[in-house]
Amino acid sequence: MDRRRFLDWMIRISGTTLGAFVLYPVVRYLVPPRIPEAVTRRVVAGKVKELQPGSFKIFPFGSQPGLLIRTQDGSFRAMSAVCTHLGCTAQYRGADRMVWCACHNGVYDLEGRNVSGPPPRPLERYDVHVEGEDVVVEKARTS
Amino acid sequence: MIARVQEWLRDRLGLDELQQLAEHKQIPLHRHTFWYYWGGMTLFLFGIQVCTGILLLLYYRASADEAYESVRFIMTQVSFGWLIRSIHSWSANLMIGAAMVHMFSAFMMKAYRRPREATWLSGMLLFGLSMAFGFSGYLLPWNQLAFFATKVGTDITGAVPVVGPFMLRFLRGGDHITGATLTRFFGFHVAILPAIATMILGVHLYLVQRHGMSVPPQVEDQGTPVPQMKFVPHFLLRDMVGWLAALGGLALLAALLPWELGLKADPYVPAPAGIKPEWYFGWMFQTLRMLPSHIAGLEGELIGIIGIGLAGMVWLLAPFLDDPTGRGPRARFWSGLGVAAIVYITVFTLLVYRGGKP
Amino acid sequence: MSAPRLIAVTGVLLLAFSGLVYAAPADSLSGIARAAQNSCLDCHRRSDQARVSAPTAHWLEDIHAVRGLGCVGCHGGDATDSDLSAMDPDKGFRGKPGRDEIAELCAKCHADAAYMKRFNPRPYVFSMAEFRTSVHCKKIAEGDKKVATCTNCHGVHGILTPKDPSSPVFHRNVPLTCSKCHNSEYMKGRTVPTNQFALYRNSVHGKALLERDDASAPACNDCHGNHGAVPPNTRDISIVCANCHGREGELFLASKVRLAFDRMGKRGCVTCHGNHDVQKPTDAMLSTGPGGTCVGCHEPGSAGERGAHAIVTGFAGLKASIGVADSLLKLAEFRGMETTQARTALRESQDRLVAVRAAIHSFDEHTVAAVVAEGNEFATQARTAGISALRDWRNRRIGMGLSLLVILATIGLLIARIRGIAPR
Repeated sequence: MDRRRFLDWMIRISGTTLGAFVLYPVVRYLVPPRIPEAVTRRVVAGKVKELQPGSFKIFPFGSQPGLLIRTQDGSFRAMSAVCTHLGCTAQYRGADRMVWCACHNGVYDLEGRNVSGPPPRPLERYDVHVEGEDVVVEKARTS
Repeated sequence: MIARVQEWLRDRLGLDELQQLAEHKQIPLHRHTFWYYWGGMTLFLFGIQVCTGILLLLYYRASADEAYESVRFIMTQVSFGWLIRSIHSWSANLMIGAAMVHMFSAFMMKAYRRPREATWLSGMLLFGLSMAFGFSGYLLPWNQLAFFATKVGTDITGAVPVVGPFMLRFLRGGDHITGATLTRFFGFHVAILPAIATMILGVHLYLVQRHGMSVPPQVEDQGTPVPQMKFVPHFLLRDMVGWLAALGGLALLAALLPWELGLKADPYVPAPAGIKPEWYFGWMFQTLRMLPSHIAGLEGELIGIIGIGLAGMVWLLAPFLDDPTGRGPRARFWSGLGVAAIVYITVFTLLVYRGGKP
Repeated sequence: MSAPRLIAVTGVLLLAFSGLVYAAPADSLSGIARAAQNSCLDCHRRSDQARVSAPTAHWLEDIHAVRGLGCVGCHGGDATDSDLSAMDPDKGFRGKPGRDEIAELCAKCHADAAYMKRFNPRPYVFSMAEFRTSVHCKKIAEGDKKVATCTNCHGVHGILTPKDPSSPVFHRNVPLTCSKCHNSEYMKGRTVPTNQFALYRNSVHGKALLERDDASAPACNDCHGNHGAVPPNTRDISIVCANCHGREGELFLASKVRLAFDRMGKRGCVTCHGNHDVQKPTDAMLSTGPGGTCVGCHEPGSAGERGAHAIVTGFAGLKASIGVADSLLKLAEFRGMETTQARTALRESQDRLVAVRAAIHSFDEHTVAAVVAEGNEFATQARTAGISALRDWRNRRIGMGLSLLVILATIGLLIARIRGIAPR
């Protein structure tokens, strides 16, 4: 094979490789990522059958923890789980039907209002709806 | 099999004619041939912008609530999103830089003289469009720097006499920079400007093919006929070397100097210190900054804006003001003007980054 | 002027005066107070003598005036009589009560629940029995004149409700009111400590209440009680603090340290944190170095010291793990890598750190160790995620390097091709 044809052949290979190097990131880019959209206002907090009435779940909402509660009557409530005192993650006490923070005994009611202990402000409430099997939590419309 | 498909395409699309045109295209070969590559370079980088821009469009959200978060999403969650975004931001700057080299080299070579005046005018229009692309695109990530740079830029627009206040409200979608501004800029950036640019680009490229490549007067005056190089394959291969070098440069920049996310825009926070527009507006910004606040009873900024506007007009009308043959004392004067403009713009752009008081 | 003439003139003047008063136009101030005719106010107000007119200066703002009670309610006499005969003991006039009589006088109404309910369905009903337990009451009974009674704290003739920010017993004003007597000047010659206000002002409670207007911070009465003020005795202190500091108090009261303190006669909470000058606790207290609280009692080599050492080591270890993970994540963020998941884990870890600072009050190394272990687990998760982010970043540069090689190779080949082509 003479030099010219060899060179052409090499250029073809090199060009194709370059094409692959360009195409690969583009193709990967086009495939949607695992979390399909930026979580700013809305997130699927869990599945309906995951929670029994009277129990709760901590779910990630952006970079902060959220509190999803299923009350005795089966309906859902959601609020920020970041205690307004020193930022610990609060939890739900089904027996007392109150939200409680283990760090310094802060207590909130089911509306998120701070009713006893050190927390100075209520917990931010979120809107919850059920879509099929999913429980969807969204930042409150009026915020 | 492939040969038959190729044959079919040849026939239906008239590829033979196009091939003839391409094979006939010649490029003059002389000591200034180097500058001929810069139009193609600008076009290549524009192509990169279109491709990366379309890809970004698949994930970007143009509302004040979601723009910043969607860019962060692209940078962190989407596979190679960081690469596409950084290339788009860097290539924008490289494209405008290439356009400036192309414009100045065309000016110095007096490529605008008869019969290429329309090519020059359409080219200047394209240059204005690319600055508009840059200005509108810069706001889209909705971070602090972008927000305040847009505020400063539209404030200056507002200072233009007569049409200024209208222009300000038109650009901002209101009196202040809000989500409405973002939506509007997005519309400009992905629809209006591309549509206009495509049309003008079509005209510009058509005119270049129609009139062929211009040869500088000094080269024409040599006497001997100017040797020619075939476009295909000689010029094109060299073009591709340049394009690949640019691609390599972009990859390097995207990986080593990734475009930052910044802080989300907050209109109620005081403007961060050292706000300045992107470098291609730098020389205008620096000129306005350096003018005294009042000159002969009028506001300094106003004088500056009018001055820059007049200079732009003169530059635009160069084909009609310069000697039509590109020779003689007037031509030499205009070459001098060209050099002065290049020096002025270079110095004043650098001054923005010198730091300290203007 | 001769005596008879003086009396005549005075009498004529008084007649004219009362006539004027009778015909005087209604005052625009405090309709309720004026509606009940108040000759005491009218006369005393017009006096030149400061001693006589002083009580009228702020009377109309007094909550008693606002509620329609006149001077007669406390002082007796006849408010309809515009003569000096209004101050007749036969008409019930009592005049200025003695210091030892004031509390009983106020209690006449304020301790009467039925009466108080006429003005407020949920009244504060004063307890004379409670007041009698206080040092103030005991000392007054002994004849001490320089001790506080109702009027010293609440004011007199211009008493505002405790909810009114101008009242001397408004929450924020209490420390200053108490310090009017509890200072070295006034208390000269007594053995009572007098530096409480100065200490309090410098404390975390004092700064919160007095400088930041944080109404959740305690004033003197929140710990000492209102009308039954005593220095809380040894057994009571941790219960007092636990009123607000619930979790810490709960843990302490169940701890072995509390038992030890009871045996030794040491006071809970105060022994480590101080009382009037309590400061924000620092992590230095949870160490074995300078500022370390445990080693103040526990001798080196003792079981207590070993336990303290275990707790301190666990705490310091958790802090260090969090610090390492945090700086790793900061580096990744600076390089533009995604760290949200890692940050979520790190904040759980930081939660545990806060929890340890409360859990320490159990003084039990196993309780604390459990919390520390959870914290460490989260910190490790965050650290792992941070390392993976930095690895991704390094991979990007490798990818870029490879693609550059391919580009350079292609460029090289193209140039070779250009050279190889016949001259143009």
